[in-house]
Amino acid sequence: MRRYLDFVGNIGLFALRAARRVLAPPFEFQMILRQIEAAGWKSLPLVLSSGFALGLVLALHTRTTLVQFGAQAEMPAVQSLAFFNEIGPLLAGLLMAGRVGAGIGAELANMRATEQIDAIEALSIDSFKMLVIPRIIACSIVLPILTIFMDVMGLAGGYLAERASSDLSLQLYISRGFHDVGWAAFVPPTLKTAVFGAVIGLISSYLGYTTDEGSEGVGRAATNSVVISSLAIILIDVVLVKAIFFLFPEGAI
Amino acid sequence: MNRETPPAIAFRKVSRSFGDRAVLNNVSFEVASGEVFCLLGRSGTGKSVTLKLTIGLIQPDAGAICVENDNIVGMDEDGLSKVRSRIGFLFQSAALFDSFSLHDNLALPLKRLRGKKPDEEIETIVQNTLDDVGLGKEGRKMPAELSGGMRKRAGLARALMLGPSILLVDEPVSGLDRVTASEIDDLLLRIQKRDNTTMVIVTHDTREARRVGDRVGVLDDGNLIAVGGMDELAKNPNALVRALVSEAQ
Repeated sequence: MRRYLDFVGNIGLFALRAARRVLAPPFEFQMILRQIEAAGWKSLPLVLSSGFALGLVLALHTRTTLVQFGAQAEMPAVQSLAFFNEIGPLLAGLLMAGRVGAGIGAELANMRATEQIDAIEALSIDSFKMLVIPRIIACSIVLPILTIFMDVMGLAGGYLAERASSDLSLQLYISRGFHDVGWAAFVPPTLKTAVFGAVIGLISSYLGYTTDEGSEGVGRAATNSVVISSLAIILIDVVLVKAIFFLFPEGAI
Repeated sequence: MNRETPPAIAFRKVSRSFGDRAVLNNVSFEVASGEVFCLLGRSGTGKSVTLKLTIGLIQPDAGAICVENDNIVGMDEDGLSKVRSRIGFLFQSAALFDSFSLHDNLALPLKRLRGKKPDEEIETIVQNTLDDVGLGKEGRKMPAELSGGMRKRAGLARALMLGPSILLVDEPVSGLDRVTASEIDDLLLRIQKRDNTTMVIVTHDTREARRVGDRVGVLDDGNLIAVGGMDELAKNPNALVRALVSEAQ
C-alpha cells in the first residue's frame, strides 16, 4: 500500500514541478512541434481506422436493437451522441495511451539508461524542461484534435453501416445526427481529452524520466506507461463526466 | 600545468553511497589547472561516479567538491548550470542524442546557451569542430550510423562545443581497437596542448594512463589508494598499485 501511495505522491510532485516549469522560459517550441508530429501526425492512421471500424460495428449492433423498437430513424443521433460524448474521447485517449504513452515511457527510459539525460544536464541544459514539458504540452494539444478525427470517422463508419441496410441519404444522416447535438454535447467532452493528454504525457514521462533500472527499465517503463495511463484516464473520465453534467446539464443525455 | 594557481578541481573528504554500498570513502585529491589527471582502477571502484560528482550529476553524502573555486555541493540548478558550462563531459557510451543528427547533436548546446548567436556562426563552429575531430563529412549522419570510434569522436566534439576549460572523459578507449584507441588518445593530447584544458580521464587502460596522464590516481573499492606519476606509482608499497602500473610497462 505504501508503495502505491509513494507512487501517487511522486507523480503529484512531478506534476507540480511540471506546472512550475511550463510557464518559465525558454519555451521549447521546436521540441513541442517535434512531439506534436510524433504524437499526433503519426497516430492519425490508427485513430482514423479505429474510429471508422468502431463506428461501423457500433451502428450494426445499435441498428438491430433500434429496429426492434421501431426507432431506426434515431440511429444517426445515437451514433453521434455516443461518439461525441464518450466513445470518441475515451477511445482516442486509450489509443494514445497505448501508442504514445508507451513510446514516451520507453524513449525517456532509454535516454536515462544510455546517459543521454545526463549528457543534456552536463551541457547545462534543463533536461526536464527540454524533454518532459514538450511531451505533456504536445499530448494535451494533440488528443482533442485526434478525438475530433475519431468522432468524424465513427460517424462515417456508422453511415456506411446504415447505407448498407437502408437508402438513407448522407444529407439526412448528417441532419438527423446533428439535430440533437448542442455544443454542450460536443465541446466539453472533446476538451476533456486535453486533460487525458496531459495525464498520459505526465505519467509516461514520469515513468521514463525517473527510471533507474538500466535497460531492463525501458520495457517496464513502456508497459507501466500504458497500464497506468489507461487506468488513470478511465478513473479521471468518471470525475470529468460528472463535472461536465454538473456544469453543462443540457449536455446530459 | 600551473601549480601556483588554485586547483581546477578539488575533492575534499568526499563520500558517496548507493544504498548500503559505499562507492567512495573520504576521497580527497586536487587537479591543477591544465593538468591531465587519470583515474585508474578496476571496474566498479567508483571512477565514473567521481566524474559525475565533479559535474554535479550526483551529489555526495559528505565532503566538498570545488570546481575552479566554486563548491558545487548543495549548489542550486542555476549555479550548477553556470559551472557546467565550463566543463565538457565525454561519456563512456558517448551518449549522443539518438533522434538528432550528428550536426544537431553538436549545435544543440550552442543554440540553447547562446541563442542569440547567428545561425551562420553556429554552422561554422559546428563544422570546424567536426573537422577538428576528423568527422567533417559525417555531420548529416545519425548516431546509429557511426562506428564506435566515430561515436567517441562525436561525443568529444560535442563536449568541446562550449569551449570548456575542464574536460571530463569517461573510458575514452574502452571497446576500441588499439589503433583507434591510439587515435583518440592523440586527439585528447592535441586538444589539451592547444587549449591547455584541464582533463580528468577515467580509464582502466594503464597504457593510456601512462601515455596521456601527468598524474595518476588509483581507486580501489571506493578508496583513493595512491596518487602520483606512473614511475612513482611503480614503487608504491601497495601490491595492487604496482600490479596495475606494471601492466603498462
